[in-house]
Amino acid sequence: MNRSYVLRLALVWVAIFLLLAGAFRLLEFDLAFMSHWVGFLFQGIGYTIIVSAISIFFAVILALIGALARLSRNPVANGISTFYVSFVRGTPLLVQVYMIYLGLPQVGQSLETLGVKMMGTGAPAWVPGLFAWLAGLFVLDAIPSGILALSINYGAYMTETFRAGIQSIHGGQREAALALGMTPAQCMRRIILPQALRIVIPPVGNDFIAMLKDSSLVSLMGVMELTWRAQKVGRRYFRSLELLTIAALFYWIMTIALQTVQGRIEERLGRGRQR
Amino acid sequence: MASTSVIKVRNLHKRFKDPAHRGEWLHVIQGVDLDVEPGQVVVIIGRSGAGKSTLLRCLNFLEDPDEGTVEIDGVEIRAGEHNRERTRQVIEIRMKAGMVFQSFNLFPHMTALENVVEALITVKKWSREQAIAKAEEELKWVGLLDKRDEYPIRLSGGQQQRIAIARSLAMEPKIMLFDEPTSALDPELIGEVVEVMERLAREGMTMVVVSHEMHFVRDVANRVIFMDDGLFIEDAPPSVMFTRPQDERTRQFLTHIL
Repeated sequence: MNRSYVLRLALVWVAIFLLLAGAFRLLEFDLAFMSHWVGFLFQGIGYTIIVSAISIFFAVILALIGALARLSRNPVANGISTFYVSFVRGTPLLVQVYMIYLGLPQVGQSLETLGVKMMGTGAPAWVPGLFAWLAGLFVLDAIPSGILALSINYGAYMTETFRAGIQSIHGGQREAALALGMTPAQCMRRIILPQALRIVIPPVGNDFIAMLKDSSLVSLMGVMELTWRAQKVGRRYFRSLELLTIAALFYWIMTIALQTVQGRIEERLGRGRQR
Repeated sequence: MASTSVIKVRNLHKRFKDPAHRGEWLHVIQGVDLDVEPGQVVVIIGRSGAGKSTLLRCLNFLEDPDEGTVEIDGVEIRAGEHNRERTRQVIEIRMKAGMVFQSFNLFPHMTALENVVEALITVKKWSREQAIAKAEEELKWVGLLDKRDEYPIRLSGGQQQRIAIARSLAMEPKIMLFDEPTSALDPELIGEVVEVMERLAREGMTMVVVSHEMHFVRDVANRVIFMDDGLFIEDAPPSVMFTRPQDERTRQFLTHIL
């Protein structure tokens, strides 16, 4: 890339921003209104980050278990894993979010009814109590529901990433480990996984960035995160465009920051592997 | 008379699914017997696909034999048995039989020292200090103590292979299996690996080597076995094998490599 090309590229970006600024003027963006609410929206970022960070943590664990199950010769483990990946990847995240937030309480209710029905059948007295307790587990608050949905969804996608990462490790590594007397489990833990994890860090980083944006879906459950705040306030004052623009900018800045961090991590990891 | 063999193989068979013809099987090892006395150096030669590597890999059960028995230093495994006891025996045999691979297979995420230390800790349950002392001793023996903290990628092929040998020797094996240890090396790096192998032979290690490295075969081997189509065709000291081969197939093969 020569310098005049970079200059022209920069000019195009500047032009785009100028055009957008002009458009916002024409649409009579209320800057005072925006600056009044920007702090309120900013507080939503905390929820966005917390939900995403916890979800990516559980998604990684699910993906690790899913990938090991997928690669095992055990038909039960393999069957459950393939079903999980196929079903979750084959259905929209939005439907999954609703199934967990709206569908799970229904499961809980059915359990409770079942317990009540068993009261006259000679079952021990503690059975209905147990069912009622179980039912309670199915009614989740908004934030746990959101974390559950995102973890399950991303866990399924990342299962495939982890599987590919593990399979990309050359077979000679396994053979060398086994030839030294390691058990298959020791070989996986000490030799294969450390190498595979290093390989999957970039795609997992991408998933984290994608999740940051998909976490906006949990606003549907009433989590007071960034999108929820923008939508609520925007609707009330019929100033949705202004507030959604702020929310969009926040997401954008966060992803740019994360991409920078990701680049640094990759650079650092690459160092040991260079001649 | 009780057998003194440290390796005893009887009627070994191995079949693979034929990748080119569905439902058909390749009979890669067609009933092999092998006895190796302690301290012997046996080199197996033969054209590619003759079953040399497969035989070697059956000795430490990286391949599962289909028929026959393998006995290493008193631990005998019969083909076809699959139970908890066998799993334990396989690990026992692998600890008694070190293996060196054509492609080195060092663990790239570990330094040279960590490569050697690893199995001492995970398999032999040694303490870290004990393992490091042993690993340093082995690295010194292969002449690479100064590379202890280097990652494999920064080492030459010859250095990597010597560290792989040190990694195997640290486990104090009874026998060493070498699967084409110099085939992946640039010509100028072969010497340093052969030198280490020669030293090992002189110290009395029992070795089974798949290699066409003639210098090593002539100077170090006690026995040369020519293998073809999954069978031992000829088994003789190198001086006899190279001057008076008995079988026509051996003769033909030797004209290619000598």
